[in-house]
Amino acid sequence: MALSKERLGRYNPEKPQENRLTDLGPRHFWEFFPPVIQENYGKWLYHDILEPGILAHVSETGAKVYTVRCGAARFMTVQHVREICEIADKYCKGYVRFTTRNNIEFLVDSIEGLEALKKDLESRKFAGGSFKFPIGGTGAGISNIVHTQGYIHCHTPATDASSMVKAVSDELFEYFKGMTLPAKLRVSMACCLNMCGAVHCSDIALLGYHRKPPIVDHEYISKLCEIPLAIAACPVGAISPDKTESGKKTVKIKSERCMFCGNCYTMCQALPLSDQEGDGVTILAGGKISNRISDPKFSKVVVPWLPNSFPRFPEVVENVKKIVEAYAKGANKYERLGDWAERIGWERFFEQCGLEFTEHLIDDYRLAYDTWRTSTQFKFTDAAWEVSKVAGGIEE
Amino acid sequence: MASVNIAGREVELDEDGFMVNPDDWTEDCAKYFASGEGINELNDDHWKVIHYLRDYYKQFQIAPMIRKLCKETGCSLKYIYELFPSGPAKGSCKLAGLPKPTGCV
Repeated sequence: MALSKERLGRYNPEKPQENRLTDLGPRHFWEFFPPVIQENYGKWLYHDILEPGILAHVSETGAKVYTVRCGAARFMTVQHVREICEIADKYCKGYVRFTTRNNIEFLVDSIEGLEALKKDLESRKFAGGSFKFPIGGTGAGISNIVHTQGYIHCHTPATDASSMVKAVSDELFEYFKGMTLPAKLRVSMACCLNMCGAVHCSDIALLGYHRKPPIVDHEYISKLCEIPLAIAACPVGAISPDKTESGKKTVKIKSERCMFCGNCYTMCQALPLSDQEGDGVTILAGGKISNRISDPKFSKVVVPWLPNSFPRFPEVVENVKKIVEAYAKGANKYERLGDWAERIGWERFFEQCGLEFTEHLIDDYRLAYDTWRTSTQFKFTDAAWEVSKVAGGIEE
Repeated sequence: MASVNIAGREVELDEDGFMVNPDDWTEDCAKYFASGEGINELNDDHWKVIHYLRDYYKQFQIAPMIRKLCKETGCSLKYIYELFPSGPAKGSCKLAGLPKPTGCV
């Protein structure tokens, strides 16, 4: 679609309001439905997962539609989108859709079409050897990683999104191609604790984290910032108004109170806190949003900090792998990671995943009390025995 | 950061065209910014909004919330957009020489 030159003319910077179209909203989804979806809308009877990445939906009219789900990197070029369009034109009458986890779904209405499409998709690779359209992401496996901007575009990240997602996805690729886990496992990633996306409610979540307080740019803060906003942005009240020696308005930060969230930098660009050695990655686990069997859950911090080892993040990959493998081994069918951890107890979760429990993981923010153990119900673990021995509490 | 000459005075601007130092503001600055924001001429209502923003900023060191702005000046949000086509934040705050709005905008 080219820019309109005839009906409304070109944009005229001299008269910006002239011929301006606004408040049109998105196009209606009905326009882009394949005919088989339009005809059977609201009439679906059941569906099957034929194999990883391939779904079949059957309508009460007898119509069938096959869906092929492919992984996607989310950040993509127009060239790549054109390639998706080319495939859709060839096999799917020009229709294609994207999922809420940024996978691509091609819909076909015959088995023959499905086989040809599958073969074509699997043959397409980038020059470096990566699959362009790996088929998978259905059922009890690991689908795409929901992630954010990272160093590609954002100004507040503590780590990079795309590169870490690529590194972790490479390691979890067999779970994307297979459905071998007890239940689906959602991995998500956010590069600062704004948590854009699904980090707070995912089975495994990777989160960029700072470890140093902001540096105050006294010279510019009173010009660039609305200082009361920066003060009110702090969740722990560590920022207070101050004056410089020359009498300029500024702020002071109690560094022993600061927990490096970066909210003040979001509100005020004179308070940068990004740091090469300080910044890193936190891993959270056990969240979910579905209501199946148990209520939705928040994910909990299980690894306080890992370094940003660009470009492949070996420490992050190793810890994610440890958690996934312990979960695959220990959990019952249909049990999400959080359900499993709560059933066996978090002390056993740490033992089985081989993760170290440190003081960083103990909640100390306002409503923290409810997260502590107000019970004698617990399982002895090797780690607990060690602590007990050091304290002289256990005689062998 | 770039600086421009507005009515014989050098004024420092950032890459979005906001003034770096709100204290440098004069009425000439508002007139200078107006053309870039699609405003041909500043009428009384424009000035009412601009002066309200500056007074509020002087008193509280923050820009007022939209609701507050509408209530105090008597302009509906729709009318604010008619006055300042790029909106209260990018338009009127820039003309009033206030710092660039921050956060997830």
